[in-house]
Amino acid sequence: MSKLPDHDLEALISEFERSSWREMHLRVNDIELILAKDAAPVYRKLERTAAAPQAAEPAVRPASGPVGAPVNAPAIAPARATPAPPPAGWLLVRAPTLGTFYRSPKPGAAAFINVGDEVTATTEVCLVEVMKLFTTVRAGVSGIVREVYAKDGDLVEFEQALFLVEPRG
Amino acid sequence: MAEQRIFIANRGEIALRAIRSAHELGLEAVLGISVADRDGLPAREADRTVLLGPAAARDSYLSAARIVHAAVATGCTCLHPGYGFLSERPELAELCEREGVTFIGPSSDSIRRIGDKLSARAVAQASAVPVNEGTEKIADLSQALELARQIGYPVITKASAGGGGRGMVVARNPAELSASFDTAVTTAREAFGDGTLYLERFVEVARHIEVQAFGDGQGQVVHFGERDCSVQRRYQKMIEEAPAQILSQAVREQMHRCAVALLGSIRYRNAGTVEFLYDAQRQQFTFMEVNARIQVEHPVSEEITGTNLIRTQIQLATGTLPPLRQDAIRMKGHAIEVRIIAEDPARDFVPSPGRITRWDAPTGEGVRLDTAVAAGSFVSPHYDSMLAKLIVRGESREQAIDRLAAALHAFTVEGIATNIALLRFIVSHADFRANNTSTRWLEAVLLPAFKTQLGRSS
Repeated sequence: MSKLPDHDLEALISEFERSSWREMHLRVNDIELILAKDAAPVYRKLERTAAAPQAAEPAVRPASGPVGAPVNAPAIAPARATPAPPPAGWLLVRAPTLGTFYRSPKPGAAAFINVGDEVTATTEVCLVEVMKLFTTVRAGVSGIVREVYAKDGDLVEFEQALFLVEPRG
Repeated sequence: MAEQRIFIANRGEIALRAIRSAHELGLEAVLGISVADRDGLPAREADRTVLLGPAAARDSYLSAARIVHAAVATGCTCLHPGYGFLSERPELAELCEREGVTFIGPSSDSIRRIGDKLSARAVAQASAVPVNEGTEKIADLSQALELARQIGYPVITKASAGGGGRGMVVARNPAELSASFDTAVTTAREAFGDGTLYLERFVEVARHIEVQAFGDGQGQVVHFGERDCSVQRRYQKMIEEAPAQILSQAVREQMHRCAVALLGSIRYRNAGTVEFLYDAQRQQFTFMEVNARIQVEHPVSEEITGTNLIRTQIQLATGTLPPLRQDAIRMKGHAIEVRIIAEDPARDFVPSPGRITRWDAPTGEGVRLDTAVAAGSFVSPHYDSMLAKLIVRGESREQAIDRLAAALHAFTVEGIATNIALLRFIVSHADFRANNTSTRWLEAVLLPAFKTQLGRSS
């Protein structure tokens, strides 16, 4: 995986600001950068997801300058969570199927689980819906929930990491 | 123009072709993939990939619910089904219709009407398209024997629910029909979930000729000429060419008219193929079936008409296709496609998945290669073993064959077994050059000669 050095990125942005261009698209290996001077770019591009799920690509996100529309910004579809590798021995609860992720059993209800909660293998942790068919996902592991990767209503892909669980000592 | 985004519900070369055609039209392409295809070329060229499921197609490429869910969730406005997988299942088209995604193909209703072969035959008859002498659905063996007696032997059993040779058995007498009937029912049921069979008179020496058609869904249908796909093994096509040089101009035009009339009668939408069996001795053709999708062999029609059919498909779906006009479609030259398949002809065509270590593909004038593999690619055992389609074009059939022979000679693949040596042998055979083949030729004439040659060289 390649990465654009930050100073290169800054130089590109200031170059773009000085130019008469209204939009710039740049692709370097796996990174795609879109810069636009219009407040609302003509068309929001899809974020480009890495084909391999282990890719932990940092979002290219200029802190200031022109309106940047980095490809990892939420477009029509939510960005796929690509969490950093968890500490050794910690466990991931993954999506058993592609679908829409729901943290609670019905709208407005409390979430199945929150960070800090203790789960066992049979604890219900979320719902994944495919074409109105809901699947209840169970933790499958025991421990303390340390991270919730997916957001309510997100499209989650097959085997996408949903929760991070620290096993009990 | 409204923003359009296309979901590709397929893999391999046809997925790549759809992605590139979408990009040419300025559309974004989202590709549904299985775990096995994360590193593939289509995944790299798509604007976004969505992991549908595991390598096994059942929970990925064959899951209509997951595919349409992913298409809707990623904001896609239309969906290209490719060929194979769910392309001809009315369920996928129907789910798209329900969810407001434009299916790049016919309506689910059309797929139902012509996907069932018996129903398709009725549609053909209603359009005055000649059909082979045949029966309605058969209840059991005793009825089959009675009907076969009326039609006259030899007969062929066919599955009402699908093609590809499954459920098809040739019987030359009552004993053969009795012996094979139950197996044919079982095979059809396993392949299509429906064991319904019917019988047709079996044409001994026939050619497989099909017409590439395209409808706008409003009743306007045009054709892009015909293809001769007679070189096949066990009903699986291996070589396809356009035009079918065996046809007289009068028969050719009649065949085109029949295909257009048949699809026009159901206001067919998007690309489709009408397949015919052609009896070269009698110079007569009969309707076989309709393929309600783009087919593997569509590139030969593209080559002689200068049309990108995949792009045309997408344009129709996105409302950017100019009105269809038959007189705007001109045909020129001759094109031949051979399927490069990862299987070993020397070992009874056993599939040969694995890592491709060398992939030296031919290039040159009139040579085109449609593929999604390269050196280093892993050929998954989970899917169809077709690696590439080598397509050549020439001013004449002779020139096309010369270019094909040279291209096959220059084609080197290592790491996995392929059928390239067999294709070279076919193309250099006198019968092939003389266009003296039939649907039985490969198995009856060519393969025995090929085996003899293998025996000599080993």
